[in-house]
Amino acid sequence: MNNLTLTEDEEDVLQELMNIAYGSATAVVADMLEAFASLSIPNIKIMTVNELLKTFHELKNASYFFSTQAFSGEFNGESAFFINEESARNLATHLELENREDLDDAILELTNVLTSSLTTKLAQEMETEVSFSLPNILKIPLEEMEGVETFQLYSRVIVIDTNLNFQDQKINGKIFILTKDESIQWLKTKLNTILDQLL
Amino acid sequence: MAQNKTQYDFRSTLIDKKIVTTMNNGVIILDSELRIHHYNRWLEIHTHIKEKELLGEKLTDIFGEIKEKTLLRKIRTALRMHTPTYYTANTSHYLIPIKINQIENAHFSYMQQDVSIIPFDEQNKLVALILTDQTNMANTNALLAAYVKKIKELNEQLLKEKELTEIQHKQLLANSRSAAMGEMISMIAHQWRQPLSLITTLLANVKIKKELHTLDEKSMDDSFVKIDNTVKYLSETINDFRDYFKPNKVKLEVKLAELFNKSIFFLKDEMTQYNISYSLDIDDNLSVYTYKNELLQSIINIIKNSIDAFKTNDITEKKIGVTVKTLKHHISIIIEDNAGGIEHEIIEKIFEPYFSTKNKNGTGLGLYMCRVIIVEHLQGEISIESQNNGTKVTINLPKKI
Repeated sequence: MNNLTLTEDEEDVLQELMNIAYGSATAVVADMLEAFASLSIPNIKIMTVNELLKTFHELKNASYFFSTQAFSGEFNGESAFFINEESARNLATHLELENREDLDDAILELTNVLTSSLTTKLAQEMETEVSFSLPNILKIPLEEMEGVETFQLYSRVIVIDTNLNFQDQKINGKIFILTKDESIQWLKTKLNTILDQLL
Repeated sequence: MAQNKTQYDFRSTLIDKKIVTTMNNGVIILDSELRIHHYNRWLEIHTHIKEKELLGEKLTDIFGEIKEKTLLRKIRTALRMHTPTYYTANTSHYLIPIKINQIENAHFSYMQQDVSIIPFDEQNKLVALILTDQTNMANTNALLAAYVKKIKELNEQLLKEKELTEIQHKQLLANSRSAAMGEMISMIAHQWRQPLSLITTLLANVKIKKELHTLDEKSMDDSFVKIDNTVKYLSETINDFRDYFKPNKVKLEVKLAELFNKSIFFLKDEMTQYNISYSLDIDDNLSVYTYKNELLQSIINIIKNSIDAFKTNDITEKKIGVTVKTLKHHISIIIEDNAGGIEHEIIEKIFEPYFSTKNKNGTGLGLYMCRVIIVEHLQGEISIESQNNGTKVTINLPKKI
């Protein structure tokens, strides 16, 4: 069976797991930046790449910095982190950064912290392990992103989208966890195992 | 038993430590105060510093350019998250300064490094820094970036040139319109010369008769009727010219015989003046669906060129002939003269803008505009050939556009 949509129960469990993961991620991010952070309750959707690109298209209006990081294991995929120019500037001020390269580095660090803490916790809850590749800041304009072939490799994506918010520092970001078909299949199996244990 | 012995041997050789020592990456083990606990052979070789000189020393004291705050933050985060944090060659370039002396593609003076900071011993707050040489990749990236920049520059240049060509093209069109206007005025002048002199003569007659007291009512009326008719004719000429030189916005069914009669009408004064005979071989019912005035402008231009050629070449029997053939989807208009033809070297340039053989009298835009109109507006073709002391212009037009 190749049903790649999540049932209501599966989505509930995933939402619950994500909430736990976000709790831990928030703490780590707050630690890293020595500031109080909040993350919005994650929004989980399965969509096609075209729909996703449309979402990204809307984000481009605010001239976002865009970074990605791949993760591998039984649960694998890529995370995409968007942060707008103003937030990036505020992040630079907060971390007392001196130049553009340091800022890029800090954005990558934030991407890594969010991706790692989120997926590690999620993986832990699902009794598996993940390994991370180096994060990468994409220096191409977003409107050219449809042309990036690697992006087309994902036919259907599970999108876990949340807003990162440091109120005092005025830093907002948006992170997407993207995984493709076989991971979605694997995720469904795992979620059902957890569901069975709950019943 | 043998297997147990082997397993024991593996442990006793401290395989882990040996790998760290011999691997082709830099490995530093640091504690949370940045003190060095291990510095592998790869780093010893690349930095020319021995491990024993460094143990217990603070990494930032040895390499002063490392930003301590950033490194501490990355180590703290790695230990806190239990997953690696990174420096990437793309954004941070390098952590440990290692001079390189590459000759080819040497964009960088220092080895470009990806650095993974891996939580190694969480109890003792130790992390392992794994350095990977990414200079080749960075070189390729830098080269690629340089090429992309170059391509972007070339592209911009191309766009600018294209824009310039478009502006020039528009300018040419405007110039050709003024030129056509000038031609029109000169044609009107030709057309008006005779009727105007007729009016002058009639008025002079009336005046003389009046002075001689021989002016009767009838001859006065006759003169006035003639003058009135001539003035009407002048007015019609103006209207005709105005109508025919306005560019059409809509396509029409155009009867070709009528169109050629009209063009001859505009030019017949000059043709009579220079003794040029003409023949039209066109089926009265033949028509095309196209922009009428654009086609007329082109035809007048071509016939005018023949007339101008006769002015400079002394030919005894001057002839211009027009034939129209009909094909399946096209019609073919052939305009021929015997005005001496065109030199072989010139014929290739004849459709180029600002090319003229008429010295100060030509703008060099006539045939260029004919081609623009016929090819771009009327979706047809135009060609020119010179043979037997004459010129033959062929225009192929679709029956309908």
